[in-house]
Amino acid sequence: MRVRYLLRKVAWAFVTLFFVLAVNFFLFRVMPGDPVALLARSQRLSPDAIEQQRALFGLDQPLIQQFGTYVQQTMSFRFGSSLLSARPVTEIIGSRVWPTVLLVGVGTTLAVVLGLLAGVKGGWARDSKFDRGSLYGSLLLYATPEGWLGMLLLIVFAGTLGWFPSGGYSSGTGTGIEHVTDVLNHLVLPALTLTLGYIGQYMIVMRSSLLDVKDEEYVATARAKGLTDPMVRRRHAVPNAFLPSFTLIVLSFGFVLGGAIVVETVFSWPGLGQLTYQAIESQDFPVLQAVFLLTSFAVIIANLVADVAYTFLDPRIEEA
Amino acid sequence: MGRLLKGAVTTAALALVVLAGSTGVGAAEDTASPAPTTTLRVGVMSEINNPNLWAVNTVAEWEAVTLQYDMMRKFSEEDLTAAPSLAESCEPSEGSRVWTCTIRSGVKWSDGEPFTARDIAFTYEFVMEKRFPYFRSYIPEGTTFETPDDQTLIWRSPEPTFAPDIPPWIYIVPEHVWGKYADPSIDVKEIKAADVLPVVSTGPYVMTQATAGQNWTFTKNPYFWGDEPAYDSIQYRLFTTPEAMVQALRQGEIDIADELTSDLLPALEKESNITVQKVTPDCWVNLAFNFGGQAPESDPLPALQDLTVRKAIAMAIDKQSIVDKVYPDAAAPGETIVRPLSSYWHLDIPDDQVIPFDPDAANQMLDDAGYTMGSDGVRVDPSTGEPLTMRLPVSGDTVGSEGAGKLIAGYLGKIGIDVTVQPVTGGKMYDIQQTGDFDGYIWYWCGDPDPDYQLSVFTSDQCGDLSDGCWQDASYDALYRKQRSTFDQAKRQQIVFEMQQYVYDQIPAIPLVYPNSIEAYRNDQVTDLTPAPGADGYLVPNYVYTSYVTAQPASATAASNPSNGLPPWIWALVVVAVAVGGFAIYKRSGRQSDEEG
Repeated sequence: MRVRYLLRKVAWAFVTLFFVLAVNFFLFRVMPGDPVALLARSQRLSPDAIEQQRALFGLDQPLIQQFGTYVQQTMSFRFGSSLLSARPVTEIIGSRVWPTVLLVGVGTTLAVVLGLLAGVKGGWARDSKFDRGSLYGSLLLYATPEGWLGMLLLIVFAGTLGWFPSGGYSSGTGTGIEHVTDVLNHLVLPALTLTLGYIGQYMIVMRSSLLDVKDEEYVATARAKGLTDPMVRRRHAVPNAFLPSFTLIVLSFGFVLGGAIVVETVFSWPGLGQLTYQAIESQDFPVLQAVFLLTSFAVIIANLVADVAYTFLDPRIEEA
Repeated sequence: MGRLLKGAVTTAALALVVLAGSTGVGAAEDTASPAPTTTLRVGVMSEINNPNLWAVNTVAEWEAVTLQYDMMRKFSEEDLTAAPSLAESCEPSEGSRVWTCTIRSGVKWSDGEPFTARDIAFTYEFVMEKRFPYFRSYIPEGTTFETPDDQTLIWRSPEPTFAPDIPPWIYIVPEHVWGKYADPSIDVKEIKAADVLPVVSTGPYVMTQATAGQNWTFTKNPYFWGDEPAYDSIQYRLFTTPEAMVQALRQGEIDIADELTSDLLPALEKESNITVQKVTPDCWVNLAFNFGGQAPESDPLPALQDLTVRKAIAMAIDKQSIVDKVYPDAAAPGETIVRPLSSYWHLDIPDDQVIPFDPDAANQMLDDAGYTMGSDGVRVDPSTGEPLTMRLPVSGDTVGSEGAGKLIAGYLGKIGIDVTVQPVTGGKMYDIQQTGDFDGYIWYWCGDPDPDYQLSVFTSDQCGDLSDGCWQDASYDALYRKQRSTFDQAKRQQIVFEMQQYVYDQIPAIPLVYPNSIEAYRNDQVTDLTPAPGADGYLVPNYVYTSYVTAQPASATAASNPSNGLPPWIWALVVVAVAVGGFAIYKRSGRQSDEEG
């Protein structure tokens, strides 16, 4: 029973992936304009030169032929060359993965930990000062645009106080521990922005779930057994209230590879989000296709992981 | 309990020692270095996606290649006309079909190999063979090159040409590096993807390190043939928002900020240690009219064929107001189709020839020409009976185009012309231009230092290609051919002036605005930056690298790179972590003791 359920989920993941593969190709080609023509005026290109550039990247071929080449290349893990730089797309993306994993990974992890802790503490002591403060704070942060928040932190802590660098991944100097601290120094503000931006959703979901289970009979039973309040919370309430948060967390980590376009742009962080922004501006189809495919793949895998994990965490799922 | 607390404190202390030690090691290394290195740090807004010269695209990439490579003849620091570089001189003969260039002796490539005339011949032949789009147009078809000795290059073109005297904007590359790519079987894509680091060139700096999306380092070329630069290296740092770059400049993280926007001027100009450079306009914002003929679907407003209507439009537009409202303190009203940066070729329209801003006179002209005002406030074309309504696409890749378009819609509304502003992307604008699906549009032009390319855009031959609106005028075409066949520079200058005046009077397009490029630098960190061309030219190398060769660190402090060390917040974090950890352990131990008790 469980094996059949898992196989069905894996099969759907593959179907979704192929659907994304196809949509990925046509999505960017319905955008108005022409990536090569974008260069024409600033680079003084003649129409002949524009046609030459098109031919170089196969953009002069019929769309269906381009699609065939794209599918064939993607199936063999080749993503072609960037229209802008002519460099292999795999090389371009490879250099951006780690900064994104570091930034979004740290931001998400901190948001998850702090958000869950605040949600548990607030939910367990409903209407306490902490609960009200953390709830309103979370709602405020959740509603705040990340770009605005990032710019605010940048102006205050980098521009005015000078405590942190104004952007980038590192100063490009130093090695060893000096480089590590340099990167950490550059990481603080963008990671803080992401943490503050994400924390609200985890806090609110966890608090809400905990409120739901708080009055369940098994919780009352646990109390009746004479367990202390922290033990009831830790052993009986939180594990059962954690399931919705678990889904949210796994999906969030699925989005890690998608980068954080706004925050990476505000802080000049050289990740996949920034790359996506630049590729959209220049209509660099091969880069866009590869980034979107990678992001979709990560999300699909995260979904699959969540589905599979659920069968262990909550056996009722399998029976449904 | 005591043991636990003691353990925690010991661990924290060890962590502090390790972290402190790491700082100490760094400091010791700095002290042990023979001399501090000096780095000029430049913030840029566009990325160097590929250090390969043949893949150049973005602003920062053009600056990077200009910093590293020499041309056979360079753009002069004064007015961008041809000046000695790798070639000390080029003399024409046989009616300017043959040019004999004397090549500088004693020049070496950055890898120590000797540079000869053969490298120039190879570069030009390579460009012609591979048809690199940005460079190919500078050499006439059928041109051949001979190198009778290492210091002589003979350029032979089938037709008379001033090409070597433009000069050709082609950077000279070493044959011993690029020769292996000359084989006809190797395509341009493979050449563009070639790994080029460390770069081999003859310029003052060569790129030695590139970190995608972050920074790029150029190290001093030990064999540079010119004056030795003061800085050991130059580092370009990428910023993706101009606001962040301005903060970095204020904090001294960078010495120069490039590609700034005019809305940041107020913040920059109040800082005494920041000097702002408003560069003489290099581009111009263009209101082009459509005359039709690009494609069958092209259907422009017929009244635009009438010079009276075009002149009335020109008189109704308040260019100064557009500058003040859309480009405050960072532009000048446009005049001619040759941008002011090419100062030798740019014509300042004489005061008595200037088309004035005079909407009343514009209305009177249209009344006199029979364009009667309709009850809805829109004039009617007497020959077609159709209202004067204009579609005005404005390109998203042209700064301020939408704001200017809205103002123009207001101005033209006052003379009875109804304008619909249509914001589009740069890519879409190309489609619009090719199909002629517009009445007027706002886009931009950035020309070469030599005006030939910009002037060619307005010739009849370019209809359906580069021409904005397919304006076709035999008198202008004749003037264009005349300037191309005039090899005396002073005489050619007069023809180029005449062409600008002609376009100004015939109004196939209205140069609306000359926007300044904006750069800024920390005057307490770097001095002696030599702008080019002229005192209001670029500080970063857009045409010549002189600025970075003359640049000097302002002080000993600014000269040496600040050590990254451990930032204060890490120390604060460690102290807080130790305090919180210690307290938590203390509490936990206390609770355990109570339970045990």
